[in-house]
Amino acid sequence: MRPADLTPVARDVMKLPAGPGLIFASLVGAYLFNSLPWGGWALLARPDLVLVVLVFWAMHQPGSVGQGLAFALGLAMDVGDSMLLGQHALAYVIATYGAQVLRVRVLSFPMLEQTLHALGLFIGASAVIVLLNLLLGAPFPGPAAALSPALAALAWGPLTWLLHLPGLRRMRRESAA
Amino acid sequence: MIHEPPPFFHRGPSPLARLTFFALLAIATMIADHRFGALEAVRLSLSVLVAPLQQVAGAPAVAFSRLADYFASQDRLMRENRELEAKLLDYAAEAQRSRLLQAEQDHFLAMTPSRSRFATDGMLAEVLARGRNPFVRKLVLDKGLTQGIKAGMPVIDGEGVVGQVTAVGTFTSEVTLLTEKDQSVPVMLTRNGLRAIAVGSGKDGSIDVPFMPVSADIQNGDLFVTSGIDGTYPAGLVVARVTAVEKNTTYVFAKITARPAAGVDNHRFVRILTAQRPPPAPAEARAEERRPAKDRPAAKGRRQP
Repeated sequence: MRPADLTPVARDVMKLPAGPGLIFASLVGAYLFNSLPWGGWALLARPDLVLVVLVFWAMHQPGSVGQGLAFALGLAMDVGDSMLLGQHALAYVIATYGAQVLRVRVLSFPMLEQTLHALGLFIGASAVIVLLNLLLGAPFPGPAAALSPALAALAWGPLTWLLHLPGLRRMRRESAA
Repeated sequence: MIHEPPPFFHRGPSPLARLTFFALLAIATMIADHRFGALEAVRLSLSVLVAPLQQVAGAPAVAFSRLADYFASQDRLMRENRELEAKLLDYAAEAQRSRLLQAEQDHFLAMTPSRSRFATDGMLAEVLARGRNPFVRKLVLDKGLTQGIKAGMPVIDGEGVVGQVTAVGTFTSEVTLLTEKDQSVPVMLTRNGLRAIAVGSGKDGSIDVPFMPVSADIQNGDLFVTSGIDGTYPAGLVVARVTAVEKNTTYVFAKITARPAAGVDNHRFVRILTAQRPPPAPAEARAEERRPAKDRPAAKGRRQP
């Protein structure tokens, strides 16, 4: 196995288990990022890192991160963004379901194709939120909203690298020993 | 033959079953929140959990603005000081007149057993953030339940009405701005006392005054103040100045656009008006509305202290 392989197929992922500490810390970090004082145009284009991290763990740690956690995080986002309770929850649950179904297929691809799959999931999640708000009578948010899933997808590659670092390092240490 | 995975591969319900369950739960949550407002307790308790994270996330920006304030240029401070002094002189004259009027009003009120329509008590609050919801125009203030803030209280700044408190957390509260879509304020034209309802347009810096007949006497530059007949907003707060009146005789109503007087988006401190008249019980009020006007003496009796 190549030590710096960032696109492990599904069975190799099992060799890089992440502890609950890393999962929790990454989700808290993502939530902090989402809670930065975004405003106006930047707020619409804000990449939803919580969603990215959630989808990442749903694919790489299907045993520990699932739709229940997605629902809870969605509620937390709704409270933080003072939106109608349940909007983010619905979007996150749908994206997590997509991640669970596509998991083996996505992880067998190299990074570029993975990113495109992730982009699809993120577009779906943003579309759910925008559509729900249009249903509730909000005006169309404008083209900046389309940037958000694209930026989130751009974060997929770097996040994969970052969140695999501890596991890779441990593996290298063990093989050196 | 039973085709089930061996027990050590057991993984609970299938993803699709879970999706159905959680999606239905999310939709039920939305309906409960939107239609019935039944989840305020859930929101409140979650906001207690989430608030520290938000404070951490907001800390760098707050620190930066404090630092920027500290190093604010001498020139800017002096200019601001001059402006404030000029305003103070303006207001001093107003205040003297208002004291006289207040005395007169007290005199009259002493004779009639109803309560003042005008704003008296208030509380200064700092704007912590603009709400992070791109679909709704809101501000987050640093006063909440613990300071006695309640949903429905009007919020003003030095120039006029900013909006209304719509959600209260333990230490923070949310203000829905006047410009938010469908946020309405009962107003009165200062020039001729014409009453109307101003409704937020959903666009920054503009509110609409719908359903005014084409013949209504409204001109560019007219000033709208709160009329105080709703029981929420005290009377006489400046709301907006008319910026465009479009009278097209092919339509029944004139299209009137106004600009909010308050700097709705650019203030660090606002004032929450805490003195509220007790609103009538909703169920009773609705029953009263259905009744014809002539047999409503009960409503008047109830207002009396």
